[in-house]
Amino acid sequence: MSVSDLPRKEVNVLKGHEGAVLATRFNGDGNYCLSCGKDRTIRLWNPHRGIHIKTYKSHGREVRDVHVTSDNSKLCSCGGDRQVFYWDVSTGRVIRKFRGHDSEVNAVKFNEYASIVVSAGYDQSLRAWDCRSHSTEPVQIIDTFSDSVMSVCLTKTEIIGGSVDGTVRTFDMRIGREISDNLGQPVNCISLSNDGNCILASCLDSTLRLLDRSTGELLQEYKGHTCKSYKLDCCLTNTDAHITGGSEDGFIYFWDLVDASVVSRFRAHNSVVTSVSYHPKENCMLTASVDGTVRVWKT
Amino acid sequence: MESDEEDFVFYGKPIDREEDIGSRKKKAVAEASGQLRSLPVWKQEVTDEEGRRRFHGAFTGGFSAGYYNTAGSKEGWAPQAFTSSRKNRAEVKQQSILNFLDEDEKTELEDRSLSTSSQFDTFGFTTAEIARKQAEKEQQHRPSAIPGPAPDEIVLPAAESIGVKLLQKMGWRQGRSIKDSHANALYDARREARKAFLSLSSADAKVQFTDSDPVKGDIENVAEQPEDGNVHSSKGTPIFVLNLKQDVHGLGFDPYKNAPEFREKKRSRASHERGPVHRKGFSIKDGLFGFKSGKVAPGFGIGALEELDAEDEDVYGSGYEFEETYVEEVEEPSRLSLENKKEPVAKERGSLPGFRVASNSDYQMERFEPPVIPKDFVPHHTFSGPLQTGYKNVDVLPPEVPPPEDNNLKLLIEGVATLVARCGKLFEDLSREKNHSNPLFNFLSGGIGHDYYTRKLWEAYPKCNDQTKQHLDEKVPPGVQRMTAESRGKILGERPLDRSSRDSSSSVHSDDVVHLQFNLSDTFTEPASFNELSQVEKPFKDDPAKQERFEQYLKEKYEGGLRSTNSGGAGYMSEAARARERLDFEAAAEAIKKVKYSRESKVSTLNFMEFSKAGGLQFTSGGLEQTKDPQAEDLIVKNMYPKREEFQWRPSPLLCKRFDLIDPFMGKPPPAPRMRGKLDSLLFTSDSVKAAKMEEPATSKKDLLPVLQSDAQDISKNVAEIETEVEVEVGNVERPVDLYKAIFSDDSDEEPKDSNLNRAEDQEKKTEAANTALNRLIAGDFLETLGKELGLEVPPDLPFPLQKTRNLAPQKENVEGRNDNSSPHAFGETIGHGLSILQEDDSHKGQSIHGNALESGARKSLGTSLSEDKFIKLNKGRTEDDSKVRTPLTRQNYSSNSSSEDERSRKRSRRHRHRSSDTESDSSSDHRDRYSSRSRGRKKGSHREKSSGSRKHSKHHKHRRRESPHRSSHHSTEKREKMKWKE
Repeated sequence: MSVSDLPRKEVNVLKGHEGAVLATRFNGDGNYCLSCGKDRTIRLWNPHRGIHIKTYKSHGREVRDVHVTSDNSKLCSCGGDRQVFYWDVSTGRVIRKFRGHDSEVNAVKFNEYASIVVSAGYDQSLRAWDCRSHSTEPVQIIDTFSDSVMSVCLTKTEIIGGSVDGTVRTFDMRIGREISDNLGQPVNCISLSNDGNCILASCLDSTLRLLDRSTGELLQEYKGHTCKSYKLDCCLTNTDAHITGGSEDGFIYFWDLVDASVVSRFRAHNSVVTSVSYHPKENCMLTASVDGTVRVWKT
Repeated sequence: MESDEEDFVFYGKPIDREEDIGSRKKKAVAEASGQLRSLPVWKQEVTDEEGRRRFHGAFTGGFSAGYYNTAGSKEGWAPQAFTSSRKNRAEVKQQSILNFLDEDEKTELEDRSLSTSSQFDTFGFTTAEIARKQAEKEQQHRPSAIPGPAPDEIVLPAAESIGVKLLQKMGWRQGRSIKDSHANALYDARREARKAFLSLSSADAKVQFTDSDPVKGDIENVAEQPEDGNVHSSKGTPIFVLNLKQDVHGLGFDPYKNAPEFREKKRSRASHERGPVHRKGFSIKDGLFGFKSGKVAPGFGIGALEELDAEDEDVYGSGYEFEETYVEEVEEPSRLSLENKKEPVAKERGSLPGFRVASNSDYQMERFEPPVIPKDFVPHHTFSGPLQTGYKNVDVLPPEVPPPEDNNLKLLIEGVATLVARCGKLFEDLSREKNHSNPLFNFLSGGIGHDYYTRKLWEAYPKCNDQTKQHLDEKVPPGVQRMTAESRGKILGERPLDRSSRDSSSSVHSDDVVHLQFNLSDTFTEPASFNELSQVEKPFKDDPAKQERFEQYLKEKYEGGLRSTNSGGAGYMSEAARARERLDFEAAAEAIKKVKYSRESKVSTLNFMEFSKAGGLQFTSGGLEQTKDPQAEDLIVKNMYPKREEFQWRPSPLLCKRFDLIDPFMGKPPPAPRMRGKLDSLLFTSDSVKAAKMEEPATSKKDLLPVLQSDAQDISKNVAEIETEVEVEVGNVERPVDLYKAIFSDDSDEEPKDSNLNRAEDQEKKTEAANTALNRLIAGDFLETLGKELGLEVPPDLPFPLQKTRNLAPQKENVEGRNDNSSPHAFGETIGHGLSILQEDDSHKGQSIHGNALESGARKSLGTSLSEDKFIKLNKGRTEDDSKVRTPLTRQNYSSNSSSEDERSRKRSRRHRHRSSDTESDSSSDHRDRYSSRSRGRKKGSHREKSSGSRKHSKHHKHRRRESPHRSSHHSTEKREKMKWKE
């Protein structure tokens, strides 16, 4: 993929959120997107046409993360109210609320089969919640982190969490091992490469670090942006050729995966770019910002 | 038997068993109380009050009724006065269904008019009629063109016209064409039926039913019979219900074109707004998920793949409504798109209305191949537990003794007893030795509370050792005498260990205590490192006593858990002062470590010197902070991160199930509560995670003893294993290599022992090598001990690169062999040779010329280390010359190295003394004798070794690999060898 294919043209601005947008996420096939923010709402959009479809309200505090199942039927979200909400997409009702985190919940993810929601909390724990049964107790609590867990990723067999204690911990269910990769810097956000072999960790020293998952080796560091005090997302492009991430000055950065050079940077928002999400198939990207907008970028 | 019974004579009538009747009655009662009510009808039995069966099959008595199958009764027949029915006839009673209905049922009945049930409504007339009526009804609720309530006068009742009436008389039905379409009759019938079916069951049966249905039929017609020219004329007359345009979209614009999911939602919302009248209808039409109450319990839900059942319904629902979310898009398209309608209804089953089940679900069971078992894997497991080292003298049951008054003492005694029971007698001996000056431990050597201790020990013993003992018995074949450390030492030609004068315990000087500490610690550390330290890094030069303590501290720090209660000579210090000093030491140690790091990364070594100067030789943690070199730190950070560690983690079974994985811990007992005490974790859990903990400076004395103990046991166990040639492969459950690497990150350097030869070549590297060697040795010892305790196998070392080395020049080979040897996996290689010695016995007689040459070389340098032996073996294929060349080289190395060797040997001798302390009661003079005799034997030993080396070369690899964990013994062997050379 050449640099010219990077999504740098703004095609839509999704306005509706009042206050900062904290996260934006494509759905599984990239036709819709979700955003959530400080206004305690989750919004469903058609980013390609710029249409606001639905608003989900129930959260009592800011919503920090949202994730949708691969069949688009359920949502999970979390935020400042210490609960994980499990929504029905079409009716917009909360099917269940998972209570148990002692503090704010930073991130949520469904597993592949949408049977488990894993949430990462400020209370230094990862919790896995069962969507199938009616139990409101977490299926598993992972509390080996020594600081707030900021981000969580799931594979078919593993739970990966990134924490402010500087570790990225992989919990492998097949072999019952916990592998801890200490990066030495608070980890803000982790994101899996599309091939699943690498993990990209955004650290609070304004560096993105690419780790080889099998060996724990540091493959590359990406610098240039500012990330010192906010939780900023980072991700790989759909082809794994570039790495993208927001910056606290409102810029979007694109790095080359291999040589870590900044191949593109441009101002996307007036304020901190909190979240980026890359389309699973096309060259399309979403950015969310504290300025209250979600912007859709295409080539 | 038979005859026995025949002998019995029975008198009288046998007593009726109560049970026969009782059981029947019981059954009747049970039945009455409804216990059997759950049985299906055809299994239920009718019984009389006696519990007897009333109805029988035709062949078992048939129907039994009345009083013994008569019309009579128990009372019998009684005559009655005659009354004529001529005058008062029996009233004819008119019965209707209403007589049998409750009030609410009646009202329900009134609501219902008779109609063809959908089952028989073949032509869909009734359904169509109902739908039409419903549409008409709805017409009133529809927003009309005229705002406000329309006056009744304007809206005339739409009475059926006379034409319609006539047609109906002639057999016409609503929605049917007038044209005689007998050709199409069958088709029409089918279509009607389909329509009816759709209208009833599909989600299409909604408010706008009538309006959309005919259209739909039309479209279907077109789609299905496009060739039929009569289609349009023959189809039924649609009843059009005008649909007002209520939105602001342009005509024909369908906002749901790409989002049909939300059309449904919008529609339902619209119907909700129209009021509760339609609510019911809607919820029923919701299809599969509809409930009678139309409500699902809050907080509960179902997954996409589950079906709702009764328990999901909100029985106690108070009518609480969730906060409504709404669709913002507002347009109601008046027609459905073609493809949507054509969609088979059946397909929608199992998904929410308006949603389709994903066609390509990625919910696929991913199965993994089972791991391939290596060919050379021998499925034999051994479990290392604490060895029982002869606590057999307690055959006599000690008398029950009341515990001593002092509660502390009691606790102490009990604790020690448990420990001893767990770890064996050696532990007792050690702790006795350690604490002989401590009045608290007098019970060990027969003071107050000794009886109680004996009793406790006796009690605790079987608890702990049952399993171990059993296991050991299995392992050691009967008839093979277990080896003691001494006998092994004899075989290996070791110098007997210096016995401490423990017998005169009361008179032991406190210095000796310190000394003893050293002895103990020497068992586990490589003294060379302190050598090194003393040369380069003496942060407390100005205060020799402090410096000494510092060294002591360092030693303790690196030997993994060994702590002395009162570090040498610091007894006079106050608690606070000691703590402060400890902090200083820690800081200094940190600094020294840093220097090592920086050296490795080519940062000037001045760092430390500066540091020590800047601090004015005062180590405070604050001072340390100041002198940190940021650059060096950066480098360090770079070197350190990312750091990978591995721990055990137990996923919950349910989690595994939900992820569709097999629980790796399936069938295993629930996890032990994490870390009750450090001791437990050290000895009995296999949690390798906590390895690092042993390094913690603040480990208590309690911890160190068992370590020591078990190590000693390990050694003896090793011996046992060696002798019996029990080749056991411990299942390498977890690969601790990574952990080891992570903790002791350096590799690729040489082991100092083996680098004797090496040093000649790279003198300048000496210090560095020593540094890393220190780490390695500590690591090795520590890990070996740890591994033992945790029941792990230290991973097998790499296969020896024999072929490669053969082709190289001798000198180079030397180095190569060393390097290989020093790889972190190569622990305990030499013990393999020890093993080979045993196997070979005295078979060196028939030796080749090589063997002789080697032998002579070995005699010259009497104490060449085992590693050299190994080296010689390596060179098995070499010529005589080679070995001769090599030997002088070795010597040279030794001499160059002798200064440091001095201290080492001194320390070693101490340690040796300690080692022999198992047997406890030898004087040092005795030791001398034995030593010399042993050294004589040693010659022979080394001699033998060579022969074995030359013969059993290929075998060694195997052995080495097998025996790899036994590093410490290997270690000590080496040391002993060297020392001997010294002498």
